[in-house]
Amino acid sequence: MGKATVIPFGPQHPVLPEPLHLDLVVQDETVVDVLPQIGFVHRGLEKLVETRDYNQFIYIAERICGICATGHSVGYAETVEELMGVEVPKRAEYLRVIWHELSRVHSHLLWLGLAADAFGFESMFMHCWRLRERVLDIFEKTTGGRVILSVVKVGGVVRDIDATQMAEIIATLEGIKDDYTKIMNTLLTDTSVKNRTVGVGYLSAEDAAALSMVGPFARASNLPYDVRSFGRGAYGDLVDFQPIVATEGDCYARVKVRCLEVLQSFDIIKELAAKMPAGPIEVAVKGTPAEGAEASNVLEQPRGECYYYARGNGTKNLERMRIRTPTSQNLAGMTVALKGCDLADVNMIILTIDPCISCTER
Amino acid sequence: MGSFKLGGMTLGSLFKKPETLLYPFETKPAPAGLKGHIAIDAADCILCGICAKTCPADAIVVEKKDRTWSIDPFRCVQCGSCVRACPKACLSMDPAYTPVATAQSCRVVEVPDPKAAATTPVSAAETETLTES
Amino acid sequence: MDKFTQTFAPLKLGQVHDLAAARAAEGWRYVQILAVNTEEGIDLVYSYMKDGHLENFTVKAVQKTDVVPSITDVFLEAFVCENEIHDLYDVAIANIAIDFGGMFYQLSSKAPMTVVSPEQLAAREKAKKIAAAKAAKEAAAAQKAAEPAASASAPTGPTEEEIQAKIAGLDPEKAAKVRAAMEAKAKKAAAAAASAPSPAPAATGPTEEEIQAKIAGLDPEKAAKVRAALEAKAKRAQQSAEGKGE
Repeated sequence: MGKATVIPFGPQHPVLPEPLHLDLVVQDETVVDVLPQIGFVHRGLEKLVETRDYNQFIYIAERICGICATGHSVGYAETVEELMGVEVPKRAEYLRVIWHELSRVHSHLLWLGLAADAFGFESMFMHCWRLRERVLDIFEKTTGGRVILSVVKVGGVVRDIDATQMAEIIATLEGIKDDYTKIMNTLLTDTSVKNRTVGVGYLSAEDAAALSMVGPFARASNLPYDVRSFGRGAYGDLVDFQPIVATEGDCYARVKVRCLEVLQSFDIIKELAAKMPAGPIEVAVKGTPAEGAEASNVLEQPRGECYYYARGNGTKNLERMRIRTPTSQNLAGMTVALKGCDLADVNMIILTIDPCISCTER
Repeated sequence: MGSFKLGGMTLGSLFKKPETLLYPFETKPAPAGLKGHIAIDAADCILCGICAKTCPADAIVVEKKDRTWSIDPFRCVQCGSCVRACPKACLSMDPAYTPVATAQSCRVVEVPDPKAAATTPVSAAETETLTES
Repeated sequence: MDKFTQTFAPLKLGQVHDLAAARAAEGWRYVQILAVNTEEGIDLVYSYMKDGHLENFTVKAVQKTDVVPSITDVFLEAFVCENEIHDLYDVAIANIAIDFGGMFYQLSSKAPMTVVSPEQLAAREKAKKIAAAKAAKEAAAAQKAAEPAASASAPTGPTEEEIQAKIAGLDPEKAAKVRAAMEAKAKKAAAAAASAPSPAPAATGPTEEEIQAKIAGLDPEKAAKVRAALEAKAKRAQQSAEGKGE
């Protein structure tokens, strides 16, 4: 029985997309205990509601995180619309979902690259990000921005996608899908990948439920919770939506769930593009949120369920805007999953919760 | 075989065109609608200041007395709210990024006074025709 | 497919922990805890979800002296939100399972979300004044409507109280302008009432006092224009009156 050593992990680490610090209590290469620490990118964005009115704040909400930017703008807009009782036209809902699903594809591709890089598979990292570039080109053509789209506003969306552009998008996605299936098969069947991920960082279904985990991490531990299954907005028009669930509960299952979610997003976009209704893309929003009015909203971000809360005070500025992101919910589960693992597997386990610390801290 | 699954893709990419561009010798043409920088058609501006009030980044400053409209392109986040808010539709989003610079600067545009333009040129044209004949 | 519904319900501070335990026992998921800074104290909102029902429970006005029980013994993942609320709002929460003791975010100032800047205070005062003025105006209008329409005579123009109500929330320059305009209106109405019995030509055009009142606060260029326009109007009215008289 060796002596316990404390090894600091982060905040600057090649695998981490954002700064996170962990104090790993290690005994003979086995992690015994973990103490997470965040706070390196706290920008106090929620306080900016005092100086920016509810139309301007959407641009701040977008910039909470670069990877989940579209999700935050859609979630914020939906919450304020609920607060003010605004009904968004159907076409705007469809467009929002298409951009959000594309955002999910780009986020998962980014994550797959990082996950491969976590155990040294650098060429996979390059291939995933190469395919991601094609998605970013779609964003650039349809919205004008690659990462921060600024295309959603309270009351609808700002730009439209016409039929030719939509056909182009579908064609590009088909091209991405062909290359992507090859990559996915590699990731899921290669022996080296399996050696590094199967059985690593196991979290049982009971633990995941007790810790209220969300997102692909929970779905890989047999918890079928996905906000998209509530069928709100354009998701209600999908013929059949089933959350992708895996039962193994280890890193391999989480990689598998995210891989399959990319394919599911391709199908969703194709289905919605075919069913897109004609009509206006925005509705004029007049007035201000009523004093004391409250609204809450949940949205399925690529990392899981994101909770939004807004309270009005009778002026153009909101009284309070609160965004609770999936990573802050999953931090506890991550610490539990890390206990008992090998020091070399810490990278992979941390990455499989898809940590988006900028979102957590705002 | 359980390994080297990317063999086919790797071999194929030896003969395919590279995915990347040889920048700066080759550049990608900017797609229409790219959010580059804000341009103003100064003749139509009425100096109402709505764009300055709408801007979430406080990048636009409108001075009514000096008749100037200025934008700080380094504060601008290219959201396009000013373009949509302008009542005279004189602002537009041009698809060219603000070039990299060694110091931050503001772009100041003088908005011509429509009343001044209406009174002077007429007499100039008249004198011209008089001298010609 | 579950449907998404949301509810808001009040909650007492003492029931926070019991509610968490009850929800955990029934299989509800913990969603989040948030805090709102209000004038009466800090409002805490606890959210739980099961099968698409999102329930938000609000604990109103937690004071600085109140100690909030932690729910991390039931829901470990709450430690993130509880530490955050302690750091940003200075709410005392007891027995957090992983307690960072105020060092979770390592902020430079204490409880920054409770700090209200002077500009914000001024903006809130202004908003309150406008709301009060609006309420006063509505009350006065309601009162007037309630009164039997006995005084069917010419409108007397805005009274002093109404002038006060209108300018209550405006800044001084604008207030002076509005006051001048309303006093001119009052004068005009009084003049009309006085001359009502005599069937004199009503369109006498704006008088000198009215011109003065109108241009009281405008800048010289515009003032000259307005004056010219009003004088032209007066001339026209005079001419039409003369024409009629002929």
